[in-house]
Amino acid sequence: MNAAELAEALERAVPGAVVAHADGIDMPTLTVTGEHLLAVCRELRDAHGRNFLSAVSAVDNLGYGEAVAGYYGTERGRDINLTGSWGAPVTAELPSTRFKVVYHLARVGDGPPDRVRVQVLLEDGDSVPSVVGVWPTADWHEREQYDLMGIEFTGHPNLRRLIMPSDWAGHPLRKDYPIGGEPVQFTDDV
Amino acid sequence: MSTAERAPAPVVPLYTPAQIPAGAPSKIDPPSGEDLITINFGPNHPSTHGVLRLIVTLDGEVVVGLDADIGYVHTGFEKNFEQKTYWKGIPFAPRMDYVAFFANELAYVGAVERLIGIEVPPRAQWIRTLFAELNRIHSHLIYLGTSGVELGAISLFFYCLRERDTVLDLFEMVTGVRMHDRYPQFGGVFEDLPKGFYAEARKFCKEMPKRIDEYLDLVEGNAIWRDRYRGIGTIDADTAIAMGLSGPNLRASGVPYDLRRVDPYLVYDQLQFDVITGENGDAFDRLMCRTKEMYESVKLIEQCLDSIPDGPVMADDRRYVLPPRNELHTSMESLIHHFKLVTEGFRPPAGELYYAVESPRGEFGCYLVSDGSPKPWRIHFRAPSFVSLQVTAMMAHRRYIADLIAIVGSLDGVMGEADR
Amino acid sequence: MAVTPVHIQDAVRAGDLEQYVMLTTLEKAIAWSSSNSIWPAGFGLACCAIEMMSLPSPRYDIARFGAEVFRSSPRQADLMIVSGRVSHKMAAPLRQVYDQMLQPKWVMAMGACSSSGGMFANYAILQGVDKIVPVDVHVPGCPPRPEAVVDGLLLIQKKIRAGIKPAYELEKSKA
Repeated sequence: MNAAELAEALERAVPGAVVAHADGIDMPTLTVTGEHLLAVCRELRDAHGRNFLSAVSAVDNLGYGEAVAGYYGTERGRDINLTGSWGAPVTAELPSTRFKVVYHLARVGDGPPDRVRVQVLLEDGDSVPSVVGVWPTADWHEREQYDLMGIEFTGHPNLRRLIMPSDWAGHPLRKDYPIGGEPVQFTDDV
Repeated sequence: MSTAERAPAPVVPLYTPAQIPAGAPSKIDPPSGEDLITINFGPNHPSTHGVLRLIVTLDGEVVVGLDADIGYVHTGFEKNFEQKTYWKGIPFAPRMDYVAFFANELAYVGAVERLIGIEVPPRAQWIRTLFAELNRIHSHLIYLGTSGVELGAISLFFYCLRERDTVLDLFEMVTGVRMHDRYPQFGGVFEDLPKGFYAEARKFCKEMPKRIDEYLDLVEGNAIWRDRYRGIGTIDADTAIAMGLSGPNLRASGVPYDLRRVDPYLVYDQLQFDVITGENGDAFDRLMCRTKEMYESVKLIEQCLDSIPDGPVMADDRRYVLPPRNELHTSMESLIHHFKLVTEGFRPPAGELYYAVESPRGEFGCYLVSDGSPKPWRIHFRAPSFVSLQVTAMMAHRRYIADLIAIVGSLDGVMGEADR
Repeated sequence: MAVTPVHIQDAVRAGDLEQYVMLTTLEKAIAWSSSNSIWPAGFGLACCAIEMMSLPSPRYDIARFGAEVFRSSPRQADLMIVSGRVSHKMAAPLRQVYDQMLQPKWVMAMGACSSSGGMFANYAILQGVDKIVPVDVHVPGCPPRPEAVVDGLLLIQKKIRAGIKPAYELEKSKA
């Protein structure tokens, strides 16, 4: 099934859930709202056989595309002083929200995995329902994304830091969190 | 989504398999009571699985509560990748799962290659497959050796290390280093196979099955080993899929899901091999799956040696591939090109993708988001050990503490990839 | 040649006792025996631990240097081989294990990550284990070959036999 067919099937089952769909480079990508996430996930698991959650990833879009040199004639223009400014200059489409949480699903059984990507767009401070009840493997995945990105998963039975020490301040993978380490002489950006 | 009022999230009943304890699936809250002792299997303990901390509550010798505390070797890989251009990130990749290092490199390099749409020449694909299978043997040897050490059967450790050094000799002959080679590059592999490799590799393929027979003699025929592993850490297929297990952990429960077969990458669709499954899903079946997979890996290596085609080992797409070094002496353009690619990096198209390989531990996936700049925007690695450690709690519940050690070992977790 | 008390008395009178008996100082004897029986407490953290695991293997065999028994308990160990990257979360347990070792004790920082943070200059990794424990030998490499680690072990043996004090005596601030 490609993205359009899946979106249509889900629209029949859970109206108003899928706000966008696209056939990505590798698998169909569906954008759903946070309110309908659980219903969509259960539908994908039960009616479409996606019984395997590969990963839950969170992406921080703060500063997306700012290091790209841009293109002549666009509003942003071209900045030849950015690294990698030669080559095929294309301006990436700016994402609409600060964060997004991405779920990669697959079908484990006898046959090809038929992967699907489901994503929820969020702003800073928003929370997303936890899918632990649908795929219990999401337990540590969601804890890790909470720990490193600061996204709250409501309904998670044990949402606390997993990777960083329990008294760590801040969420390291966010784009406004510095890389850290010691300053080393003679380094620059590259 | 706005931050306005919204309805509370509905309570979703937990997934049906009865094996999953209520509450957080990967933790067991101890019951209250006297005579319970909470001990700390600290991050530094003799079982050689790296730094895993388990907080175990015991009623005598029986485990009644378990909580895992990981993150003791958290290295911030994902953030480090964002600071480096794609080519400079290649040395970071193998250091996550440091035992199955080649699978990590394949996942990262494969993801970027699919993003930029570069075609890898066939000779490089076959070479990569050969080394992937060699790495599988390496990983399973370490697993076998260390699971022996955990049960107290230390002699198996030395046998496995002997073979491991032979495998690493082959790696060193071709790539120059034993571990953490930066061998897969975008567009192919770093260098061609040297003279003498085929002879050494064929010698290895002839010797290895006899050695695996030796290991099976030591293990399968040993009543103590069978008693300590049979019936321990049993998990059924539905629970395994629900908890995200993959690789030998899943196949031991009877699910024939192997990414090399169902979603072939590299040249696995042209190769013959069996997908080894178990029946009971206990620790002994996991052990047998991994050991028998070594036979299949030897078969695959032999097929690769028979069929590697001639040709270039690097793609010719100069947008992404470094020029060959001999050109740098004669061509100014190549020199500048090399300089630009190394210092500034190439610019892939913007987009996202998820690319998974069958690492010896399971499905190792790389989720890559690119914004068109020379550095990755976000990389998230789906590490199979991270996922499989979650089932420790349900497998160890109401088992003896000695079985807990056997269970943790049988899941073959590597903390480097679990913590990343 | 069998040595009897008569021979020794003759030798003492003749002045060549060294033909029959080896003479040394107490310090040298202790140094010789302790250098040949360094028991490592392998603090295996990451990739270097896998190369450290191949030290007792048949090919690189550190048993010939007396160092084969990797003690699990720090109380029984002399040399802490910090093999792998030390994260900030792991720093406290590492120092605790170091404190539990009995003197004299030596520390080998195996690999680039424990010597200086390695390739990971970021928020998570301690930039060198010598920030929290005094280190005797740094072995470079990522990971160092087992031969390099054996070389590090031999350097520690040389250090002991030369009478140089372990690092905690020289760096009182970290001891």
